[in-house]
Amino acid sequence: MEELSCETAFTIPVFGGIPVAESVVVTWLIMAVLIAAAIFLGRNLRVENVGKRQLVLETVIGGLHNFFYDLLGEEGKRYIPYLMTVGIYIGVSNMIGLFGLKSPTKDVGVTAALALMSIVLIEFSGVRQKGAKKFLKSFAEPIPIMLPMNILEIFIRPLSLCMRLFGNILGAFVIMELIKIVAPLLVPIPFSLYFDLFDGFIQAYVFVFLTSLFIKETIE
Amino acid sequence: MELLRIDWNVIFTIINLIVLYLALRKFLIRPVTNIMEQRKNMIEGQLADARKQREQADELKTQYEKQLADAHEESAGIVEQARKNAQAEYESRIDAADAEAERIIRNAHKAVEMEREKTVRELQSQIAVLAVAAAGKVLGEASTRENNQLLYEQFLAKAGGVNDADGK
Repeated sequence: MEELSCETAFTIPVFGGIPVAESVVVTWLIMAVLIAAAIFLGRNLRVENVGKRQLVLETVIGGLHNFFYDLLGEEGKRYIPYLMTVGIYIGVSNMIGLFGLKSPTKDVGVTAALALMSIVLIEFSGVRQKGAKKFLKSFAEPIPIMLPMNILEIFIRPLSLCMRLFGNILGAFVIMELIKIVAPLLVPIPFSLYFDLFDGFIQAYVFVFLTSLFIKETIE
Repeated sequence: MELLRIDWNVIFTIINLIVLYLALRKFLIRPVTNIMEQRKNMIEGQLADARKQREQADELKTQYEKQLADAHEESAGIVEQARKNAQAEYESRIDAADAEAERIIRNAHKAVEMEREKTVRELQSQIAVLAVAAAGKVLGEASTRENNQLLYEQFLAKAGGVNDADGK
């Protein structure tokens, strides 16, 4: 079962060796591809006489923008680009199993980092919208007895985000590996469609959906 | 086997995410949303322009219609005025002609009257001469002036007064 572990790709030889996980290396790969694609797609955009490339791009980006805008409203508009980025990154990460790479989201370190970013963003949005004092007060709402629950939520929300994503992708990965051991030819295709594409998409969707819901709840 | 490992890689992933976020925002999301925003503004501007132009056209149309109606009214007034003028002119001409005709007729009557009186007077004098001559002839031209006068008086008495003659 060595496939389950998160291997160390290489070690930076400072401070007694900093291990760099495989997931981080795969993330770099994904980043390189995404940024290259972004630079290529984002060039020569025109207001009129749009080409097919721009049309597809606008449909995708506009669709994502509308999706998040509906969830967040006018006040949360500033968080849309980050949520888009995370959505695209998680989506690509989940589906990269199709190319024979290990999904970075299979590494709990990556999902923990994503969840950490999310909770920082959620609480930051609250402070930014309400001001520090009103934000702290909002923990005692609607009634003061909710205070412990609300404080617990700060830890529960990122933990649930982190573990949901990690568990789903790891589970899908394990099942796919088992199927590949039992029947390596053709049989994995439909399962791969479900576990890599569909589940990957759903998990990316759920992650950004919940994050934007929490932001909306906090800034209201 | 390290299934759950949380170490430096969390930091690396956070850095990766921030870099990816900044790069995607700069190269992809900002340009595309800017373009879409621009297009939206452009379309809205054009729609507003079209609305404004239509309003202007409507305004002009009502203005022209009003002008047209005014012109119709004015032309009708002019025609009416001309008709009245013509009627007045016609009537004054007719009146003048009537008056002229009456004057001519009156003059003619007067002239005829005068002519008749003149003729009567001439006839009277001629008759007197003829009568005197006839009387002279009758009396063998021996009569005096007094006789003549007498004879004339007698003749007149027999033949009736001058004023009784009346052309009949």
